[in-house]
Amino acid sequence: MKHKLLPLSETMHYILLALREPLHGYAVMQKIEKISNGSVILAAGTLYGAIENLHKHGWIEPVGESGRRKVYMITSEGNAILKMEQNRLLHILSLYERSESNEKI
Amino acid sequence: MFFDIEKQEQWLNKQLHKGYRCTHISGLGIYTFEETDKRYVMRMDYQDYLSKQKFKDYKGLYEDFGWVYIAGSRLGGHYWQKEDDNQNEIFSDRQSRSNYYKRLMNYSAGFGLMLLFISYLIFNDSGLYLADGLWSMEGTLFWKAFLFETPFVLLRSIPFLMAVFFGCSFYKAFRKYSTLREG
Repeated sequence: MKHKLLPLSETMHYILLALREPLHGYAVMQKIEKISNGSVILAAGTLYGAIENLHKHGWIEPVGESGRRKVYMITSEGNAILKMEQNRLLHILSLYERSESNEKI
Repeated sequence: MFFDIEKQEQWLNKQLHKGYRCTHISGLGIYTFEETDKRYVMRMDYQDYLSKQKFKDYKGLYEDFGWVYIAGSRLGGHYWQKEDDNQNEIFSDRQSRSNYYKRLMNYSAGFGLMLLFISYLIFNDSGLYLADGLWSMEGTLFWKAFLFETPFVLLRSIPFLMAVFFGCSFYKAFRKYSTLREG
């Protein structure tokens, strides 16, 4: 069976992408707001739960502290998940590109 | 301990809307408010048991978002207050909201089953009325004894009644949970 976090939700997707550089929780939210052009603004509980969940599955890990805040970064497992998701999305995008008339059933 | 976390949240927010801000919640559930010209919102969160370190991370992250910790216990419920602006929710997606209701369901089910077990132990060896021979008494004697015993029966039924309340809140959380899952 597929992993229970797959396919990645929008929240999980953005967090993994943001954590390709080391960041603490609040900075993750700020970065996501920016890279999503303001369309994804994570709330505190959602971010907390997602970080806990991703950490539990070993897709991100704490790499240090900035003041009292924990700094997280994506792991190699997390990167492998992103690669898988990228291939899945690229395939879906390719279906968008393909014109209907070429379909042979 | 709480029976209906959402009703409690609604009640608190109604008070805050009248121009108050909550300053303290005592362990016995006594709320202290003070008047304010600003608008505040209160959100209740329920987390599974948090270790000291996890609680620190949890609290720190919410505080970064502008939430002020009013009260709570590392065992579960947490009260968060914040000045009213555009970011008034603690959950921003369907998945995290449904996980929240899932945690509430586990909480209600855990307490409910524990209380059911306790009331089973209470009623198992003695039945509802304790007094021997109550049911063989006649006339006014029966009614006097019956009325005398009834408050004790109610007292002994408290765990069972609480279990029923927890059953109701389990059902409410389950309804919300399944609505979120369906979509």
